[in-house]
Amino acid sequence: MNWINFEYYFGFVLLFWLLGIIALIISYKKNSAIHIANILFFIGWGILISFVVKLWIQLDRPPMRTLGETRLWYSAFIPLIGFITFFRWRYKWFLAYSICMSALFLVINYLNPEAQSKTLMPALQSVWFIPHVLVYLFAYAVLSASCIVAMKGVYDLRKKLLKTSTIALADNLVYIGFSFLTLGLLFGALWAKEAWGHYWTWDPKEVWAFLTWMGYLIYIHYRYFHPNKSKQALYILSVAFIILLVCWFGVNYLPVANNSVHTYTQ
Amino acid sequence: MTKQKQHNLWETPWGYVESFIIGIGLMIAGFAIEISASSISALTIKFPYNLIILLSYCALLFVAYKWFSNVQLIRWLSKVPAAISSITLVTIMVLIMGIIPQAPSDNNFVNLLGLNHITTNWAFLLILLVFLTNLGLVTIKRLLQFKASNLGFILNHLGLFIALTAGLLGSGDLQRLTIETRESQPSWIALDEHNHQVELPFAFYLNDFEIENYAPKLALVDNETGKLHFNEGKNLYLIEKGNSYEFGDFQIEVKDYLESSGRIGDKYAAVNEIGSPPAALVVVSQQNKTLVEGWISCGSFRAQPQSLKINDQISLVMTIPEAKKFSSDVSILTKEGEKINTLLEVNKPYKHEGWKIYQFSYDDTLGKWSNISILELVKDPWLPYIYIGIFMMIGGAIYMFWIGNKKLKPDNDELD
Ligand code: HEM
Repeated sequence: MNWINFEYYFGFVLLFWLLGIIALIISYKKNSAIHIANILFFIGWGILISFVVKLWIQLDRPPMRTLGETRLWYSAFIPLIGFITFFRWRYKWFLAYSICMSALFLVINYLNPEAQSKTLMPALQSVWFIPHVLVYLFAYAVLSASCIVAMKGVYDLRKKLLKTSTIALADNLVYIGFSFLTLGLLFGALWAKEAWGHYWTWDPKEVWAFLTWMGYLIYIHYRYFHPNKSKQALYILSVAFIILLVCWFGVNYLPVANNSVHTYTQ
Repeated sequence: MTKQKQHNLWETPWGYVESFIIGIGLMIAGFAIEISASSISALTIKFPYNLIILLSYCALLFVAYKWFSNVQLIRWLSKVPAAISSITLVTIMVLIMGIIPQAPSDNNFVNLLGLNHITTNWAFLLILLVFLTNLGLVTIKRLLQFKASNLGFILNHLGLFIALTAGLLGSGDLQRLTIETRESQPSWIALDEHNHQVELPFAFYLNDFEIENYAPKLALVDNETGKLHFNEGKNLYLIEKGNSYEFGDFQIEVKDYLESSGRIGDKYAAVNEIGSPPAALVVVSQQNKTLVEGWISCGSFRAQPQSLKINDQISLVMTIPEAKKFSSDVSILTKEGEKINTLLEVNKPYKHEGWKIYQFSYDDTLGKWSNISILELVKDPWLPYIYIGIFMMIGGAIYMFWIGNKKLKPDNDELD
């Protein structure tokens, strides 16, 4: 009843990715190695996706309910973002980062085995469930990538090496991530109307989702108005990500948590 | 020589410092009103007054933009510093809402400033007004200078403006009632949020209420504290006949499972009566050595629960089954003598005469044997406008994703 054979999938994914990272490092000396790296990353990712599919079938419900399951989706999405940004902008470091992040989340899941109960409460049994959660996790994955870019930006800034391409990447990721965040928020509202009769109830999780949205809204407007003030923009982006983290993990620990319908527990 | 220009406070154009001074000043004024006047529920303006307010507000924004845009205040209100300051201050108010529970409080400070009812707090409403005014003015500006490349902007900003204003002003017209229906009995008296009776223009007749449960789960509990023993309750297994489960180094095998049972002596047998709970025959072993064998049951409103003691510290119990699905087969009887049959289920509301009817609850002490079903009725005449706003924003988000950040930014770091 555990995530059956997770260890095997996990082991193979990590093996392929480790080899991929080695190939990626070699590619700094010999450029063609990057193709091998990509193939290895992609095979590892394929194995991971097949595990997600298998888990879904085995649980008989979308595996999107517990924290461990959302971590699994996160591990599945973030390499995808790495691939996309790589093929569009050729950032090797970012590809490596996304693979490592994904691996980290797999390790966390490996260390916290979670047996899956199959129950899904009636309010969650809706056509909105999957799009809502998928869109949100995708947004989180992209936005946390933007945070890493921001951190690299701050570091480069210290060394007076900040390139406009770095902040442009942050902008691109924020625009993509924010549009998904908006979709997640709105799908949630439409769903809540069907399930509970009201689209917005200021439930604690909703409050924090709204705050996250507003954080990135500030970034977007600040960037639009002050395209040359990179430093402040990078700090805004970091703060926005902290709010996102509270929304994702922290709400359960706040005094308001006990009346939330969205906490990820039984 | 640097071309640094010195920007004095209140010298035009107003920048961030001025924006935050104005915003925070308004909020302080709002808190002052909270302290002096007793709290009002500011948003219970009903039709047609809310519509009149909305139309006048929009007209005011239009006039302000069209003929007074050279006035400093209006100019400020249609620029980004006002947007950023008001978005930030609204965020701070919502942050308070996200930290302080929005419920009656015994903290004097919280009560004094009304921090436990942010959505009707004057400070929040005043800063929200700046936020909306800013949003409205930029929307009008871009609408009047319409270009195809502004499409995304308009979908986002106008959509948000419509959704927010319709939601805020429409809340006065929102009606939310609950009604308790009993099997084989018509009901037409509902209750509103303040528990006042409301007579409906139609009646409900509950033909049947049904719950489908998941199987109960197995859990280990501490004999003394009664707390879940293993892995903080994360690892609970659905009981299935013939299956074995591992809890740490205990193996538990389910030899028999009865969905509906009665106790006979120290055994359980299949019976089918109201209030007969599920029961299971289990064998607990450790390192292939059988420790105990016996029956467990979660009990019901009628039957005692039964646990199985494994050792001095822990026992095996069965949890109360969770509902998988609950539904009411109801008939709606209209004054004209019409009879409409429908099946209400969570996530599957039914629309009737402007009301949306939801499966809401049931008698949870009786659980699956409940013979009442509680329905919720919601009437929200402003909903179509809120949906227009929401769908515009969905369009805006898709546009944003597609076009991304390709547009050139204005070169006016005018506040540097
Ligand atoms: C759905 C949420 C929002 C999104 C996606 C959004 C996005 C944007 C974008 C992308 C721009 C840059 C202009 C362009 O690309 O044409 C912009 C400008 C602007 N936004 Fe927003 N915004 C949102 C909400 C708001 C809110 C709530 C306010 C005000 C409180 C606001 C005020 C402004 C202002 C003042 C500008 C500058 C317009 C100009 O100078 O012409 N926006 N917004």
